[in-house]
Amino acid sequence: MNKVEIDWTRCDGHGLCGTLLPDDITLDEWGFPVLRGREITAGEVTNARRAVLACPALALRLSKLHRSVPASHQ
Amino acid sequence: MTILQETPVVTRIIGEPRLLSGLDTGRADLQRHLWTHGAQPQLTREAYTELAEAVGLRGRGGAAFPVSLKLADLPANGTEAVVVNGSESEPVSRKDRLLLTLAPHLVLDGAVGIAHGVGASTVIVAVHDAAAAASVRAAISERPDIIDIQVSDTPGRFVAGEARAVLSVLEGGPAVPPGRRVLPTRKGYRRRPTFLSNVETFAQLALLARLGSRQFGTTGLSSEPGTQLLTVDGAVQRPGVIETPTGIPLDTVLQFTGADAGPVLLGGYHGRWLPQTEGVNLSRPDASAGIVLALGSDTCPLGEVHQVAKWLASQSAGQCGPCVFGLAGLVDDFGRILRGDPTGWEDAHRHLGLVPGRGACAHPDGSARFLASALEVFGDDLRQHLETGGCGRVVRGVLPVPGGSW
Repeated sequence: MNKVEIDWTRCDGHGLCGTLLPDDITLDEWGFPVLRGREITAGEVTNARRAVLACPALALRLSKLHRSVPASHQ
Repeated sequence: MTILQETPVVTRIIGEPRLLSGLDTGRADLQRHLWTHGAQPQLTREAYTELAEAVGLRGRGGAAFPVSLKLADLPANGTEAVVVNGSESEPVSRKDRLLLTLAPHLVLDGAVGIAHGVGASTVIVAVHDAAAAASVRAAISERPDIIDIQVSDTPGRFVAGEARAVLSVLEGGPAVPPGRRVLPTRKGYRRRPTFLSNVETFAQLALLARLGSRQFGTTGLSSEPGTQLLTVDGAVQRPGVIETPTGIPLDTVLQFTGADAGPVLLGGYHGRWLPQTEGVNLSRPDASAGIVLALGSDTCPLGEVHQVAKWLASQSAGQCGPCVFGLAGLVDDFGRILRGDPTGWEDAHRHLGLVPGRGACAHPDGSARFLASALEVFGDDLRQHLETGGCGRVVRGVLPVPGGSW
């Protein structure tokens, strides 16, 4: 299963992803993406890949779902 | 150095002293350390993993991640380094610099022991406080270890204490968390597997190796036995670091330190305000890095929170939009709440939903948690502010906020 992820250190709020993937991404009041957090179905992968390639900041990526462990302030 | 760091630290103990034993007359040099604790047995990685699992040891830096899982996540070979995170970036916390200053050998025993166990050739102590760094350097010169121990100075910003930010600094990079969420156990120092944990965790491991799980478990909770270090501050007569058994009732700690009646913040500025203290026992994950702040009853709670919010916003690494704009927005929202403007309250609610989970580190999440719990717990004060534009109390600055070059 695939999921859209954002590298927040790269994202500058250009907002293209919100236009290209309206079902998965909306934009907040500052123009930064808000993820719906749902899985990208097989039929949507092509559009999702296009959005990843279109991001001017290279902040978007498509990744396999995995268990994540918080690594902060260990 | 700032005023906060020059405040003398007073240590006290409830119950059996362990981490702080033998420190009645000050810093323990190698001789006194060995006289108090005895020599450190050399254990295998498997032995450390089993011991840590048997006593449910969790990291003491705030995230409370199980130590046995962290050890198990390291590959069988090729662990590059053991990193002692002594950057202690929570502004109120004093426990880690206290351990490094007074009991450096206990911390180093834990780190060197783990390094031997996992086959790492380097131990790095990342530390911000100058006195703590000097103490560790003096301790290293006394020790006969074969393993290379280095001391590295880290900057004092809040997010600079985050595990991956510390690793970035050690490699000469900026003191900010990277955008990708990679675990230090997989890609840490020099992109190689690294065992990184908090100062107190290593001191606990040194005790655990000596005592064994049975004796280690003779005090504290059955689920997470042993002792813990707490830093108590705010409206208390006797602030400072105390060692207590895990699971100690919060009310006991408040009574012991002479806290004024009033709201209590648990877990520092990424923590939560408690609706009441009765029935609250201090253990992880809620106790986080062990910070207890008593507010007392003669200061304006929301005004105090507003001061901390300004500081939290200033501590954003500035990398992630939702953190930068969201925390700045929340500072403005809380300012309007204080003046009795209801739009401040509405905006705060919306912004609190937009900040968590949208950054490279947990700073936005922790800050939102702190602010959201304030709106919940200070509901009466909130109504008073919104109805009359104030609560009749001034902001006394009970919650310490570092200033200047911290």
